[in-house]
Amino acid sequence: MAGKIQWEKDMDTALRRAKSEGKPVFLDFFNPG
Amino acid sequence: MDAVTYPDDMVGEFIQRNLVAVRVPSDAKPLSRQFNVVWTPTLVILDQDGKEHHRTTGFLPPAELIPSLLLGIGKLHFEQERFENAISLFDKLLAQYAGSHSAAEAVYYRAVSRYKATKKAEPLKEAYQQLQADYPSSEWAQRAAPYRLL
Repeated sequence: MAGKIQWEKDMDTALRRAKSEGKPVFLDFFNPG
Repeated sequence: MDAVTYPDDMVGEFIQRNLVAVRVPSDAKPLSRQFNVVWTPTLVILDQDGKEHHRTTGFLPPAELIPSLLLGIGKLHFEQERFENAISLFDKLLAQYAGSHSAAEAVYYRAVSRYKATKKAEPLKEAYQQLQADYPSSEWAQRAAPYRLL
């Protein structure tokens, strides 16, 4: 699917990618069930 | 969100193009405590240093999530004083999602961004008039009420 979201699983990785790609971070706290 | 919103192609493309997405269980400490998470989904827009600029709590369908994300990214630029970038994002939100729940707040922040960029009060008065005309029951119409006196 073209729109499939690449989710990171930890903040450190997300912030590293954000700086590298020049993008903000979208953080989703979800219900683990 | 997993059943309806995230599988939506437009949502996926928007997030992939504009954001780095990260999912964390709501009981994951210390992060959930750091962000005071008490209900899910809690959706937060952060800058590259991890500072929060926008949040929503509860389910959003695709037609509401995208404008909410545009609003959040716009507020990030606004709070970092990149007013032209912020105005561009609020313009896009209002052009494509004028009927969304994020629209009235975008009208307000677009006007404040224009004011901060130009030091001219006219955008504030125009925002008051637009909010009264298009979103009269929104809280943002109330917040803009003082601008009628400008």
